[in-house]
Amino acid sequence: MSMSTPGPERVPSTVKVGKTTGQGKPPAGKSGGNQTAADRQGNKAGKKGRKPVTPVKVSGGRNWGPIAVAGAVILIAAGIIGYGVYASVQGSRDWTDKLADISGVVNYRAEKNPKIDDRTHKDGAQTYVTNPPVGGAHNQSWQNCMGDVYTEPIANEHAVHSLEHGAVWITYKQGLAADQVDVLKKKVEGKDYMLMSPYAGLDKNVSVQVWGYQLKTDDVNDSRIDDFISAARIKASMEPGAACSSGNTTTGPITAGAGNGTGMDTAGS
Amino acid sequence: MIQDVTSPDAAPASGEAPAPRRRFGYAAVAVLLAGIVLGAAIGLVIPHFRTPADDSVEAGFLRDMSSHHAQAVEMAMIAHAGSDTPGIVTLAADIATTQQAQIGYMQAWLRDWDLSPTSDQQPMAWMPDSAGSVVNGLMPGMATPEQLASLRKATGKEQDIQFLTLMRAHHLGGIHMAQEAEKLSGNEDVDWLADSMVAAQQGEIQLIDDLLKQAQAG
Repeated sequence: MSMSTPGPERVPSTVKVGKTTGQGKPPAGKSGGNQTAADRQGNKAGKKGRKPVTPVKVSGGRNWGPIAVAGAVILIAAGIIGYGVYASVQGSRDWTDKLADISGVVNYRAEKNPKIDDRTHKDGAQTYVTNPPVGGAHNQSWQNCMGDVYTEPIANEHAVHSLEHGAVWITYKQGLAADQVDVLKKKVEGKDYMLMSPYAGLDKNVSVQVWGYQLKTDDVNDSRIDDFISAARIKASMEPGAACSSGNTTTGPITAGAGNGTGMDTAGS
Repeated sequence: MIQDVTSPDAAPASGEAPAPRRRFGYAAVAVLLAGIVLGAAIGLVIPHFRTPADDSVEAGFLRDMSSHHAQAVEMAMIAHAGSDTPGIVTLAADIATTQQAQIGYMQAWLRDWDLSPTSDQQPMAWMPDSAGSVVNGLMPGMATPEQLASLRKATGKEQDIQFLTLMRAHHLGGIHMAQEAEKLSGNEDVDWLADSMVAAQQGEIQLIDDLLKQAQAG
């Protein structure tokens, strides 16, 4: 009743907002509520126009319950979505990203060099633009890469075909100390899609390569070698599902006409 | 009371009255949207809880058995190309094609689960009490590089005997791995494949024993 007395239209309206939604009801019953409300209006009536903003804040306060619940739900949902996205992004993180994180890895795939990207099968000796090669035309026969440790240099033309099948090829400077070679050997033995051989004219002690990627280092204990193998073995395959078995097991350079058979019935050396 | 208060100025009152209902409507829509978002989020996360993890028995078994199988394929291909004994040529073809196909299953599942086909862990790490079973990186039953070189070099009956002997040991190792995986894994697909490996390779061992007797007798 008393509310209607402070003439200005704006004032009653704000009061009603206050009453209907929240605090209004219980105090209304006590009648004291009305008085306090009226007192507030009285105070505010002095500045009339602006003061009603304060009761609006009161009305906002009444909605804190639902807002808090909705906020909590949204926060939890965002948290779960965030985790889900994080988990799926981490899980399916591409092997190329993992390789990119390893310092010193050269990405030859990015160069789009036709001499490196060439995947045709050609007979006889081939020339390669990187040393050791990481891709390019190669012989029909691949070098057996079932954890094979070759003690003599192998033909690039065969090894490149192994890279195409997803193998990691570890090469080391010819004449590297035996104990250092043994460190590398342990990374290869018993693991398919791995092969290893000495390499003539290598500028570093070790060069590790898959199709299109290469890492060179002087330290056989360099942890980047393991990171490289872990990220790229099998994943780097240009022909998913292609095997490392049934490959050529002979060593030495390609001679004209050789390297066309599977190498299975040639005596391994 | 409230009605009394509102009655003097009817216009604002009628304007105000629906407001709470609208607010309730907005809240309902908000809750609905939050529910949809929540559902989508759970749907996004749950497959990661349901598929085997990177260090699971399943992942370890599929990776290791892929490598193990690959060597069986290699030996079978040597025998298939080198043997003159029809029974061995057929057995070799059977082993090579079956096990290469099984590698396909195993690699496809790892890919489906967003797992790498390879692991940083040692072979057989998924199997308890496997310490000592891996020698020079070779899993149980696997032939050494020297044995493989010898198999490649051998011809005729000598190669037949070497192949059958190596493949028998290879199968025994493989059966052991598959049985352990079946015991440890709760994954239906992995159990099914492991079970089929055990059954097929046990049957093949009997055939290998017969062929070995013939080769040694002949």
